[in-house]
Amino acid sequence: MGHYIARRLIQAVFLLFLLSMVMFALVNLAPGGPLAGHGQTRRVRPERVEMLKRQFGLDKPLPTQYLIWLVGNDWMNVDTNGDGVFEEHGTRKGVLRGDFGFSFRTRKPVLFEIWLRLPNTIYLMGVMLIVSLLIAIPVGILSAVKQYSGFDIAVTTFFFAGQAIPEFWLGLILILVFYVWLENPITGGPLLPAGGMYSIGSAYPIADRVAHLILPVTAGALGWIAWYSRFLRSNMLDVIHLDYMRTARAKGLPQRLVIFKHGLRNALIPLVTMLALDLPYVVTGAVIVETIFSWPGMGRLYYQSAMDRDYPMLMAILILSGALMIFSNLIADLIYGYLDPRIRYD
Amino acid sequence: MIKNRWPSLVWIVIVLVSLVVGAVGCAGTTTQTPEAAQPAGPTSPAAPATTQAEAPAAEQPTAEAPTQEAQPADKSSITIVIPEDPPSFNAIVGDTGYDALVMNLVLLGLTGVDPDGNIYPELAAELPSIENGAVVVDESAGTMDVTWKMRQDIKWADGKPVTADDVVFTWEAIMNPDTGIWVRGSDYVDSIEKVDDYTVTFHYSSIYPGYLTQLGGEQLVVWPAHYCDPEQGFVAWDCASNPLSDGPFIMKEWNVGDHLSFERNPTYFEAGKPGIDEIFVRIVPEETVRKQMMIQGEADVYMWATETVINDLVTAPNVKISTTPYGRWVMRLFPNEASKGSTDPQASQHPFLSDVRVRQAIRMAVDVDTIVNQIFLGYGKPIWTEFYRKPYICEVPRPVYQPDEAKKMLEEAGWKDTNGDGYRECSGCTTAKEGTPMKLSFYTYAEYGEPLQLTQQYIADNLKKIGIEAQLNTFEGSVMWADPDSGGIEQNGDFELDLWDDGYSSTDPTDFLWEIYAAEAATPGNGWNIVRWKNDEFNTLLGEAYTLDEAKRKEIFCQMAKILDEQAPVILMFSTVNADAYSNRLEGIQSNINDLVTWNAADWKIIP
Repeated sequence: MGHYIARRLIQAVFLLFLLSMVMFALVNLAPGGPLAGHGQTRRVRPERVEMLKRQFGLDKPLPTQYLIWLVGNDWMNVDTNGDGVFEEHGTRKGVLRGDFGFSFRTRKPVLFEIWLRLPNTIYLMGVMLIVSLLIAIPVGILSAVKQYSGFDIAVTTFFFAGQAIPEFWLGLILILVFYVWLENPITGGPLLPAGGMYSIGSAYPIADRVAHLILPVTAGALGWIAWYSRFLRSNMLDVIHLDYMRTARAKGLPQRLVIFKHGLRNALIPLVTMLALDLPYVVTGAVIVETIFSWPGMGRLYYQSAMDRDYPMLMAILILSGALMIFSNLIADLIYGYLDPRIRYD
Repeated sequence: MIKNRWPSLVWIVIVLVSLVVGAVGCAGTTTQTPEAAQPAGPTSPAAPATTQAEAPAAEQPTAEAPTQEAQPADKSSITIVIPEDPPSFNAIVGDTGYDALVMNLVLLGLTGVDPDGNIYPELAAELPSIENGAVVVDESAGTMDVTWKMRQDIKWADGKPVTADDVVFTWEAIMNPDTGIWVRGSDYVDSIEKVDDYTVTFHYSSIYPGYLTQLGGEQLVVWPAHYCDPEQGFVAWDCASNPLSDGPFIMKEWNVGDHLSFERNPTYFEAGKPGIDEIFVRIVPEETVRKQMMIQGEADVYMWATETVINDLVTAPNVKISTTPYGRWVMRLFPNEASKGSTDPQASQHPFLSDVRVRQAIRMAVDVDTIVNQIFLGYGKPIWTEFYRKPYICEVPRPVYQPDEAKKMLEEAGWKDTNGDGYRECSGCTTAKEGTPMKLSFYTYAEYGEPLQLTQQYIADNLKKIGIEAQLNTFEGSVMWADPDSGGIEQNGDFELDLWDDGYSSTDPTDFLWEIYAAEAATPGNGWNIVRWKNDEFNTLLGEAYTLDEAKRKEIFCQMAKILDEQAPVILMFSTVNADAYSNRLEGIQSNINDLVTWNAADWKIIP
C-alpha cells in the first residue's frame, strides 16, 4: 500500500510539472495581454507599457519567464530599471520555493490574495456540499426503495428541473422573491439579504450568517442534490435486486435493516468516490453563485484574473486546482480500496 | 413503514441544523483571519496600529452591544455599491476607477478638477500661474518652473503635517525607473526641489500646459513620506492598501471582495466637514442586484450608472440621478488608413478608407440620432468634434445624416455597384485596383455589453444601405488594446473599422490629441494614432499648442477642429452618459466628468 501511494505521488509530481508547463504556455499565449487598458484608459502609453513589462517580467522570452516562475530569479542578475545593465539579483523565489509571484492587478503576493478568499469559498461550498448530501442521500434512498412511486416521480421531476434551470437565472429569481418581494414581518425589511457573507454590525451574528447562506446555498446546491440523489438512486436500484438482499429479506430481517445495513452500505461506496472527486470544487468555488450573491470567493477571483490577464494569479489558481484534482483522485482510489475489500492496490 | 423512518428524518434535521450552525460558527472565525492576517502580512508595522488605535470602541459591536446600541443610530452612514474591488488606493496604478473612488475619500492631491473643468486647490494654497508669479517661463530656453505653495493646516491622520517633503517623496517614487510608473508630463519634469517646508518647485524642460494636475486631478495624490515604504516602491507599497489619511475619511476596514468601511476624519481641514460619519463601499458584482439595493434603500450611491441602469432607476421614487451635460467617453469609429495587418499607409494603403471622401461618406451614413435615442435610450449626446468640452469649445457644424449624399460621394470617389449585388466595387477609384469590393471588417469590444453590440449592428446596417459590406466581430478589451507583442489588434493594425469609446480626464486635451492624432504617434509602439493619419498642418498646430497662452491655445484648438472635421481621421458620434445614481436622502452628490463621484464626498450630507 505504501509503495502504491509513493508511486502515485511521484506520478502526481511529474503530472503537475507537465501541467504547469502546458498551463503557462496556454495562459501566456492566449490572445490579449495584461498591459491593455481597462476601465479608465483604453490606451496605455508605450512608455508605460515598457515599464510594466519590466516590472511584470514580461520582457523576457517565454521559456525564461517559465523558468523564473518555477525557480525564481534571485540567483541571476536582472535589469530592474531598464537601462540595459543587469545590475542586481532578482527577488523572485519561484513556485518551487513557495513564491507564486505577485498579482498584476493588486501587486500583492498571489498567495496572500488567495488566502483572503479561500476561507470564504470553503465556507460556502462546504455548507453547500453538506446540505446537498443531507438532502440527496435520503431522497436517493427513498426514490430507489419506492421506485416509480408518486414521491419518486415528484422529486425526480423537481430536482431535474432544478438542475436544468441555469444558476444565474435561479439566483436572480431567488433574489427577486426573497429580497424584493417578501418582507421580514418583524423589521419590515427584505426577508433575506441579496448577498454578501454577513451584515456589517449585525446584532445577531449567527442568525445573520445563516440568513446570508440560504439563497446562495439553495441556488448552488440544487444541481448537486439532483446529481447525487440520482446517482444514489441508481446505485441503490442495482443493489436492491442483488441476491444477498433477497437472502437478507428471506431470513426475516426488517425492511429498514435490509435497506440500511445491507443495501445502503454497498450503494454508498461509489458515492464516496464521487464525493472525493468533487472536493476540488469546494476550494475553487462557483463563479456564478459567487457573482450573483456578492460572495467574496475564489470563483470570482479566478474570473477576474482571467478577464484582466493576471497571469501569476491565474497560474496559481490553475496549479492549485490541478494539484487538488490529482490529489482527490488519489484519495478517491484509496477510499474505494478501503471500503471495498474486493479492490486491492499493490 | 413510513412511521419507522420518522426518527431518522428527525435526526437528519437536527444534524443539518447543527452542522449549519457549526459551519457558521467556524466561518465566523475563519473570515476574521484575513483581516487579522492583513496587518500581520507584509504591512509596515506602524500602519495598522495607528488606524486601529484611532478607531473608537465601536470596533467591537458585539461585546458592548447594549450600551453601544444608541450610538450607531445617531451616526449617519451611507453605502456606495461598486462591482469589483479596487486593486488598491493608488488610482494611477490600477486605473480601474474604483481605486480613484476610494482614493478620493482618504487622500488629497495638490489639486482637483470640478465638473465644469475648473481646477481647484486641495493641498495647494493657491493655483500657480504666471500672474501670481508662481510660474516662471524662460521663453528662450523653452523651459518653465512651477512653484507650489501648500496649505499649512492639513495633517495626516497620525497628526503629522502634510509638507513639501511628502510632495518630493511622492514625485521621486513615481519617477523611480524600477518601481515607479509613467505619468503624463513626467517626460517634461527635469527635477523637483523643496524650497521650504510648504513650498516646492517643479523644473520643467519644456512648456507643459497640463502642469496644474501634475500631482492632482483624478488619479494622483500626495503620499505620506513617513508612512509609505519607498523600498516597496510606488506601484506596490502597502500604504496603498492601508492608507494613512489626510482626506475627509479614514479607512477602517477592508474586507477584500466584500466591503470597505470608512469613517469621518475628525481632523479634516475643512471646518464642519465631512457631513457624513460613515461610508461603506460594498462590492456587489451583479448589476441587477446593485439596482435592487438602490431601490430597496440598502445602497445610497450607485457609481457609474449606465443608460440601461438609469432607465430602470429613474422610476424609483427614492432614487435620484446626477449627470453631467455630456460624457467624457465619446463613441467613435476608427477607420484604418493602412490596409489590414499593416501599420504604414504609405507602403500599403487601405483600398478605400484611405480616401477622405469615403470617410466623410461613412460619417454621413451613420444615423447617430437613432443610436442615441433608441439604443442609448436618449441619454447619449451627439458629439462631432473633440472640442466639445469646457474650457475648449469650438464651433463646428454638425454633420447631417444624409445617406443619399453619402452614396453620391462614393460614386464620385469611383465606387459603384457594377455587379448588382448591392455592394460597391472599385470602378474608377484612385486608391485600389478595379473591381475591389467595398467590404470591411468591423470590430468592437465585448465589455460594454448589449448597447454597443446593437450599435455595431445598426451601423453595419447603415453602411449596407450605402453599399458597404461590413463583417462584424467582437473582441475582449484585453485583446483589442493589448501591446503589439501581445497581439493587440489596434496596435498591430489588424482591423479596418473599429468602434469604441475614448476620451480624456481633466481639462487639458493636448496630450490626448498627441496620443491619437500626432504623426509621431502613428509609428507602431509609439502611440495610439492607430488610424495612421498624418497631417503636417495639424502636427505644427499641435506643437504650438504646448504654450501657456490660453487665448492662443483656444485659437489653435479651433483650427485643429477644422482640420479634423474635414479629414475625418476618426469619426466621432456621441458621448455616453456620465452619471451616478443616489438616494434621495442625500444631498451634495454631483457627478463629475473629470473625476469620480466621490470627488466632493466631504460636502455630502444626509437630508435631515
